[in-house]
Amino acid sequence: METSPRPRVVALALAVGVVLADSSIVVLALPEIYRELDTSVAGVTWVLISFNLVMALAAVPAALLARRVGPGRAAAVGLAIFAGAGLACGLADELSTLIVARCAQALGGALAVTAALELLPATVGSERRATAIWASAGATGAALGPAVGGFLTELVSWQSIFLIQVPVALAAAVPILAVAKHEAATGIIEPELRQTGRPHLWANLALAMVSAAIAAALFLLVLLLIEGWRLTPIEAALVVSVMPLAAILSGRLTDLVPDARSRAAAGAILVSGGLAGLAFLPKATILLTLPPQILVGIGLALVLSALTETALGGRAPQAIHGGWTISSRHAGVVIGLLVLTPVFTADINQQRHDAIDAGTAVILDSPVSPLLKLDLAERVSQQLETERGKVPTIEPAFEPKPVDPVERAEVEQLQSELQDQLDRGATHAFSTSFLLAALLGLIALFPIALARRVDL
Amino acid sequence: MSGRLLIICSLVASVLLVGAYLAAGGSSYEPEQVQDPCQPRAWSNPQNLGQIANQFTNSALDGAACQLGVSREALARALATPEGRKRFSQRYGIDDEKLAKAVRAGLLRAVDDAEEAGALSPLLALPLRRTLEEIPLDQAIEIINNAQGFLGDVESFLGPAGDIIEELLPGPGLLP
Repeated sequence: METSPRPRVVALALAVGVVLADSSIVVLALPEIYRELDTSVAGVTWVLISFNLVMALAAVPAALLARRVGPGRAAAVGLAIFAGAGLACGLADELSTLIVARCAQALGGALAVTAALELLPATVGSERRATAIWASAGATGAALGPAVGGFLTELVSWQSIFLIQVPVALAAAVPILAVAKHEAATGIIEPELRQTGRPHLWANLALAMVSAAIAAALFLLVLLLIEGWRLTPIEAALVVSVMPLAAILSGRLTDLVPDARSRAAAGAILVSGGLAGLAFLPKATILLTLPPQILVGIGLALVLSALTETALGGRAPQAIHGGWTISSRHAGVVIGLLVLTPVFTADINQQRHDAIDAGTAVILDSPVSPLLKLDLAERVSQQLETERGKVPTIEPAFEPKPVDPVERAEVEQLQSELQDQLDRGATHAFSTSFLLAALLGLIALFPIALARRVDL
Repeated sequence: MSGRLLIICSLVASVLLVGAYLAAGGSSYEPEQVQDPCQPRAWSNPQNLGQIANQFTNSALDGAACQLGVSREALARALATPEGRKRFSQRYGIDDEKLAKAVRAGLLRAVDDAEEAGALSPLLALPLRRTLEEIPLDQAIEIINNAQGFLGDVESFLGPAGDIIEELLPGPGLLP
């Protein structure tokens, strides 16, 4: 091969990072897409589910294809499909178009990511080092995804998160084209076509369960912050950045504890503990989301690295087993979203009604004059109608405030009590889902325990 | 660090976090439950016409909501605007006739509650009941929405005669 390895390593890492970031980059844009494309919460989750579902289904076949046609060509074609589909996502003006384009993005992404794992050992000269670069590029992409998505959504638009991927994916494809050309010219598929060993069932199963819990944590927390507590995407991005930040800072724990099984178990426990903490938030304040997020962040750093290491360790070829881990992780995300979406959409509706009833009770029982009460009730009713099924913003219903200082104080008190009821409703609406997600994390302990006895 | 120690630390951190949040009220941080409208709502000691009107409205809403099998709060939102009434009717399948019947029943309960609380004299309660039994829906809703105006009108209608009657009757009085 003619090109120097360094740009190719950077390109491959960039390809893996941008594709795996795509699983989470869209999370903070979902509320915006939900509003702009006039869909439902359940509908908009398919923007996330479709990508992860196709990744889960396509990862292993894509790895096989990459080995058959040559990883250089597979990676280049995969990145081209990913870029083209990203452009289609950015131009989509209907939910169905967006979902179809996301499926195409996942197909291209699966091909690029698994081919990258096949190309990396030959490029860096060590299978172990290749696995480490591949895993950290994926983890960095997935960790930075939500924050990048949040900033782009607020500063530019939700479309920009897809459009920006187009030049990045094309830039990553350029150094890989040399490998593709070499494969086409020589007809030689460089990596040795070894027999594929059986995938590590228990490690992959545990990865799926833990990924379900982590995806749920991120998705539910973002919805709670933006739709429930009315934070802007940038504010929400900053808040949820605590999770990847904790994961990065706790990376040293991985070196301190060499036993992968213990790290996996400890990680699953921390993820579940953090999620249970989010289920029992005692107040609607950002500060209280930080300790649970730190636990989830440390937990995910421990469990994901330990399980990926276990699933890939001593198994060849890496691309196929990497395909299985990609498949398990994305299948887990799909399971988490499919299990939890109906639960939290039903809970959001119920809690919205309960919060509105509680808020109306506050108005009816307040000491303000009946005529003012009637006026407020009417304005709050109109506001609820404007919000159409979403957790309502009540400030506009209380403007303009009465001029009389006594009445003004009473109305301000009323507004604060009403807001408290809505905050309670919005926060409580996610409790059951966070608890279920915590349960998914705990379920991962079973395959981790079984893996210990069987073949680790 | 040993693997076992890491697992124990993880368990302890998780239990401490969840325990602290539960102790701070995490399991009960939810919207307050609204009161069953069929249960009596205590009348505080009203000091002026505005306070009587407030409690009269709440009793009327409770009575009507109880009869319709909905919450007082849902009914209050429905009665605030014609659009709200339409949405309420579609959501609960309640037509105007059924609503009128319930609102009249609610107003009668409000008169009963006011009389029982000593805020309305029996002398006024009787003709009020007669009037409310036959009142059209729109007027009944208007009374709920503007109980203060309605009670004020009743007071004006009685005029000086009301004051004389009040002086002769035992109890806290007709209207302040």
